[in-house]
Amino acid sequence: MLVFEGLFAGYGGGDILKGVDLVIEEGSVTCVVGPNGAGKSTLMKVVSGLLHPRVGKLEFQGQSIAKATPRQILKAGIVQIMQARNLFTELTVRENVELGAFLIKDSSVVAKRLDEVCDMFPIVAQRAKDRAGALSGGQQRMVEFARALMMDPVLVALDEPSMGLEPRSAQIIYDSIATMNKNGRTVLLVEQNVRAGLSLASHGVVMEAGRVRLEGTGAEVLANPQMRALYLGGTIEEGQGVASSTGVGAGAPAFGNGS
Amino acid sequence: MLILQGIIDGILIGGLYALMGAGLTLVFGVMEIINFAQGILVILGAFLSYSLVRATHIDPFVTILITIPAMFLLGYGVYYLLIARLKRDRVIMSLLVMFAVAQVIEGVLDIAYGGTLVQIHASYVDTSLRFGSINIPLVYLYAFILSAVLMGCIYVILYKTKFGRALRATTQNPAAAQLVGIDVHRVSAATLGIGVGLAAAGGMLYGMTASFNPASSYDLISRLLVIVILGGFGSVGGAMAAAIIMVVIEDVVAVTWSPVWGQTMFYLVLVAVLLFRQQGIFGKQIARAQ
Repeated sequence: MLVFEGLFAGYGGGDILKGVDLVIEEGSVTCVVGPNGAGKSTLMKVVSGLLHPRVGKLEFQGQSIAKATPRQILKAGIVQIMQARNLFTELTVRENVELGAFLIKDSSVVAKRLDEVCDMFPIVAQRAKDRAGALSGGQQRMVEFARALMMDPVLVALDEPSMGLEPRSAQIIYDSIATMNKNGRTVLLVEQNVRAGLSLASHGVVMEAGRVRLEGTGAEVLANPQMRALYLGGTIEEGQGVASSTGVGAGAPAFGNGS
Repeated sequence: MLILQGIIDGILIGGLYALMGAGLTLVFGVMEIINFAQGILVILGAFLSYSLVRATHIDPFVTILITIPAMFLLGYGVYYLLIARLKRDRVIMSLLVMFAVAQVIEGVLDIAYGGTLVQIHASYVDTSLRFGSINIPLVYLYAFILSAVLMGCIYVILYKTKFGRALRATTQNPAAAQLVGIDVHRVSAATLGIGVGLAAAGGMLYGMTASFNPASSYDLISRLLVIVILGGFGSVGGAMAAAIIMVVIEDVVAVTWSPVWGQTMFYLVLVAVLLFRQQGIFGKQIARAQ
């Protein structure tokens, strides 16, 4: 569904992504983990069109989106929820959520979608007229999820959705991600909380120094002993896949609870 | 009575400054650009209305039906031709670009009109309403009413339209605005268009209430900057309130003490406020998401 091939991208001071090869399958939950500076957030910026790759292939449903604008990518069916809280805090909750359907001209469609997201996230209806900035961190994340679903996306990209949330709010976020996936949406997730993220994922990906170093099911990646080395300052040998590595399922490392 | 006269004049003329300042603060809110050309754009608007009145003998207020759309297009064009093309250090470079635009416009106006002070004339320019010893120049009253109507239009655009919602979203978080599909370039171009369009209306009113030449823009931009700084950069409501407060203070000091101190007070208040409240009287702490 979403294919990265030999992808290089950066901000002018050199490449952050240095040859990313990755395939996101339709209907999957793909969780990308890796130490700080691995290039996870840069990868998400490329997916959303905020940053264009210097070289390499980026295709969504068979169409190149390497040079697409955020607006074109949104129309293609990818929405992104950024790392930091990104509600428009001076606007009301309802205004924020309606902005999620900014590209939809038919007001009846917008109204129908609004009803649907209100059912999924009751906070939207309960606090509709409140300023979004007055909500707690977890509630703001819920409203961001609701806003993202207004476009009825095919793929939802989430950059560290649990960041800064207390454990109970973070769990609600993870449950919502699982529900989104159950409803047929493909999820691409970047997560610092490695255990929680990979537990949720059907596909786990480890990035380091701008490249994909390890892949497998979420459980396999989580159980891989090399993960401990990576998070304690080591590195992963190039081309080392989980399927071919030893020790799968044994002695799962106790790293990266994150919360 | 002198103080009351100063307060009334201050409120009426403050409305006009609020209109001119609204253009400046709107542009800053969306693009983080201090539009140094706003002063000369007001003067351009004044000269356009002046020329139209002289050529066609229509009422000055009718001229804005032509000058506002024309100057909206000017602002829209300047954005796409000059600002959208900047790839690096956009905020700083935009500042320089707008300064260059100001210099070019001033040069053109100098060639076209010279340095002679002129004023826009209409039959009612010298007419006043009298209430006892209080004198209300009719043109001040009309200027205030038009300013209020246009500010009302800005309010409706900002809070009752889809474009206004996009503009407010872009003001707060341009990256997040892009991610919901807002064309930030188009919003920015339209905002600069509106800002310059407001300068057209402000210019016509300014040209009726004061004599002007191209060099008048320097005094104007200084005052407008004071108003938007005090109002809190990016806050239209703040600019309105600051404009009225500042002009009232200036006028009251002018009529009770001296016009020179009236003008000086304008800047003394700025220094005093910034010493104790850097975000201006009505501004919030700067907390724009990047």
